[in-house]
Amino acid sequence: MINSILKYALIAAILILLQILLFNNIQFSGYINPYVYIMIILLLPSVIPSWLLLLISFFTGLIIDLFMGSPGMHASATLLAGFSRPYVLSVIAPRDGYEPGVELSMQTYGFRWFLVYASVIVFIHHLALFYLEVFRFTGFFRTLLRVVLSSAFTTAFILLAERYRKR
Amino acid sequence: MRNLLNFLVKYNNLIIFLFLQGIAFYWLTTGNNYHNSVMVKSIQSVTRGVEQRISNLRAYLNLREINSDLAAENEALKNTIEKLAKKENHRLTPVSDSISRQQYTVTIAEVINNSVNRQKNYFTLNKGRRQGLAPDMAVTVSDKVAGVIAGCSENYSVAISLLNIDFRVSARIKTSGYFGSLNWNGYNPQYAVLNEIPQHISISVGDTVETTSYSAIFPEGTLIGTISDVKKSGSDFYKIEVELFTDFRKLRYVNVIGNLQKPEQQSLEKQFQ
Repeated sequence: MINSILKYALIAAILILLQILLFNNIQFSGYINPYVYIMIILLLPSVIPSWLLLLISFFTGLIIDLFMGSPGMHASATLLAGFSRPYVLSVIAPRDGYEPGVELSMQTYGFRWFLVYASVIVFIHHLALFYLEVFRFTGFFRTLLRVVLSSAFTTAFILLAERYRKR
Repeated sequence: MRNLLNFLVKYNNLIIFLFLQGIAFYWLTTGNNYHNSVMVKSIQSVTRGVEQRISNLRAYLNLREINSDLAAENEALKNTIEKLAKKENHRLTPVSDSISRQQYTVTIAEVINNSVNRQKNYFTLNKGRRQGLAPDMAVTVSDKVAGVIAGCSENYSVAISLLNIDFRVSARIKTSGYFGSLNWNGYNPQYAVLNEIPQHISISVGDTVETTSYSAIFPEGTLIGTISDVKKSGSDFYKIEVELFTDFRKLRYVNVIGNLQKPEQQSLEKQFQ
């Protein structure tokens, strides 16, 4: 128990640091802004109580907000991603359901399952985040394009990281 | 009562979600005005420490570039001194009293946090109210527009970058003198758009765009960029693409310019509005 909490804390710290130090500095023609810290929400165990999931999502977003100096938009978007996670999980559940002790990883449930899982959550998160960021509907389709491209990039990173994640 | 409890148990998930979302939205709608909430202020002093450290590391890595920039600036300043010194030797030039008619104050500050990849970019400076900075002061990089101070704490300031879709500055074309409003469109950190220039004016690519002094923030003639593309939009106005002089990706040392005569100008203008 303690061991797994430590493991998740370590993963969270690494991802937040990566986000702040590396990915916040990526500028690719104004369209691609990856937000990879959302992987923290993806990797949490499947049997986590929903209130805890929501709190973790909210505070993850809050930490990113404080570092980026943005008012509440990461908190809001990550919270939405955390809220929708149980529904996404139940829709794409494998035939035998989820086993309580097994973590949600590519190894256990396969590449295709993880791809769908990651891309849906990442898309929800980015959709909320990018529209909250501009906070207007002028240039609707341009923002949508930014959402799609950035989601693709983030998902690609998460798949790579998941592929090489030890243990 | 039991029904209520049942309801709470059944929808506790949704209730927590809505509650937290409410907090986030409250912050989102009120917090755009920088440094308002006490909570943010206290916690950000922690993140500032981290930012300062990262900034120190970056400063070390960029020393060579900064050195050459400083050398170039030094050279320019020496040239001006030379010119001014010559002028003073000339007996017949009138002496301008620099104390009572000084219009602008300049403070040099270091950028310790910056972004170019968002729609609303801000950057943080390592000087604040104690060093004489105040909101609405102009931020320039060797006479080129960078942004405007949005809020100050004791020792830090946050400036709204030109690369912010909410930022607008009154700008004019140097050759013709026609002015319009310039803002960033969120695409590319090297380009901004100049609007409200009527179509009967002839404009050529390569013309310089500079600020006007209408807003009393930027000194008149602070450089912005050169015209790189001209399009006719549906209305009577051009849509002019301006290539910015300032490279926001390597913003390090900036000049913060305060206008000493701004209160006077604004109070006068207020009387006639």
